[in-house]
Amino acid sequence: MNYFLNLLMSGLVIGSLYGLISMGFAIVYRATGMVNFAVGETMMLIAYISYNLAQFPGLGFAGLLLTTIPISVLLGLLIERIFIRPMLGEPMFSRVMVTIGLAVVIRSAVILIWGVEPKAYPRPLGDEVIKFGELALYPGQIFSLVVMALLCLMMWAFFRHSRVGIAMRATSNNETTALLMGINVKRISAISWALSSVFAAFAGLSFCLMFSLEPEISQMGLRGFPASILGGLDSVIGGAFGGLVIGVAENMAGGYLGRGLKEIAGFVLIIVVLMVKPYGLFGQREIERV
Amino acid sequence: MRTQTYKTNYAELVALTPHASNWAWALMGLLIVACAPLILGSHGLNILSVIFVMAIGILGLNLLTGVTGLISLGHAGFLLIGAYSQAILTTDYHFPAWLAIFASGLVAALASLVVGIPSLRLKGLYLAITTLAFTFIVRHIVLFAENITRGSEGMAVEPLKILGYAIKSDMPFFYVALIMLVFFILITLNIMRSRIGRAWLAVRDHDIAARAMGINLMRYKLLAFMVSAFYTGVAGSLVALQTRYINVDTFSILISIEALAMIIVGGMGRVHGALLGTVLILLLPELLNFSFSIAGDRFTTLMADRIYEIKGLMYGVVILLFLRLEPEGLAGIWRKAKRFWVHWPLSQ
Repeated sequence: MNYFLNLLMSGLVIGSLYGLISMGFAIVYRATGMVNFAVGETMMLIAYISYNLAQFPGLGFAGLLLTTIPISVLLGLLIERIFIRPMLGEPMFSRVMVTIGLAVVIRSAVILIWGVEPKAYPRPLGDEVIKFGELALYPGQIFSLVVMALLCLMMWAFFRHSRVGIAMRATSNNETTALLMGINVKRISAISWALSSVFAAFAGLSFCLMFSLEPEISQMGLRGFPASILGGLDSVIGGAFGGLVIGVAENMAGGYLGRGLKEIAGFVLIIVVLMVKPYGLFGQREIERV
Repeated sequence: MRTQTYKTNYAELVALTPHASNWAWALMGLLIVACAPLILGSHGLNILSVIFVMAIGILGLNLLTGVTGLISLGHAGFLLIGAYSQAILTTDYHFPAWLAIFASGLVAALASLVVGIPSLRLKGLYLAITTLAFTFIVRHIVLFAENITRGSEGMAVEPLKILGYAIKSDMPFFYVALIMLVFFILITLNIMRSRIGRAWLAVRDHDIAARAMGINLMRYKLLAFMVSAFYTGVAGSLVALQTRYINVDTFSILISIEALAMIIVGGMGRVHGALLGTVLILLLPELLNFSFSIAGDRFTTLMADRIYEIKGLMYGVVILLFLRLEPEGLAGIWRKAKRFWVHWPLSQ
């Protein structure tokens, strides 16, 4: 039972990382209808920048958050302005390929600048295990879970009550109509990229607080795909839920079924899910007209 | 002055080439390429062979992504399957190597059903991600099925034998690769002018409209997957025959991205585009190598240490530049250049 509980808990922790990443995918997909293949690499770049920031003495964890998040917003806006907006109106394939190209460029550049050796990320939250009955968690793991829960709540409120959130939903529903209603569609796209980058920043920070920083972090982007597919590409909250499910499923497969299965359990799961429900569990069915 | 190529009857529409003179040009180009061993050294021949082998796979990817419009990030997986089938069939089951080439293509085509059948209901990005998942799964199966694939150690591959003569050196392999490439180009051109090729184009342009016109979507999408995987499987087995030692790490996700870069650079959906794109992308590292060796020792060591990242950076930049500046790729540049000459004093 203890083994099961620990597997479940560490699955949920990894799942919260996947959840953060897939929320990053979903928010861009909702606003612009494209998949941002560069989320993992954005996360990597921000994590490395925050590593350099964390070297400043006396910054503290709050200071680190307060510097990293604005940088990630800026990065998201820059990417949108330089690479994504000029492609507006091009076929979807080209637009998605731009993000793939961008992903490769960022990953290679980061490795060229920072090198491949793992870096010991400082532990501003401390390194002592915190016990909850039988469960033992590191502060970084708690941070990841809490951040995801908070962001989920905020996103739910954002899409339901804020003007920008409602405008975003309108844009994803029908871009032309939204434009006619006076919504600034370009601004919506910029905001969604900035938000996606913020999710990537939180995912990157959580990753760094749990593991050491190394180039494999960019793989997390690809590993987050099953989560967003499971939840449906266009559902932000669904992505978070999908992340938790995939994290737990991977850990259970690794713990009970044998080695090697951990890495592919998520991918096998989504191939099966997509056979049954082609738009994920919470995704909206697209109705096409000729 | 030739203004346009007008097609006035069905026979002209399905002709392999629009003008008889194209054959002469193609033959001349082929002759020049076939004379390459006279001037190129072993390194040059090796690069050309890699280009020919890769071009076969790219022709396959182009049929799926460029012609049928189904994005695949999984071709590294098919390449891997082809290469391992070649190695396993020749060492463990004692297939003759030439037969194993086509058998590996068939194995890859069968494997494509695994991803092809669920993808029938998927479109665009969902499909891209499923094919990506496929690559991950294949890599892990190869790594963990140690009693069949030797796991992470990799496998040695027996050389190809033709009439009892083992092809081990660069020059004979160069000709084998060239002949295979010409064979596959001819097959591709023939598929493209047939009912199948036109059906694929219709599926790409609008699949629901295509279905309304009586094209069986399921059959043609699956066929596109299988044909494409067959090409890539054959390319994989040739890769195995060329390097004669294979390992999972040879077939990373970057290969899939490299392949997409090739068809984007070349121009989607065009046979000569696929070939031009392959040549350009595979020659770029050589150019870079050359310019770095001029720049000095410091850069040469950087190149040696970080070749993987530098290549990645280059592919990324090339993809971004072409998408932004010339979405039609090299095939588009070629078309514009040709029009410029044909129309010359009147061209704008």
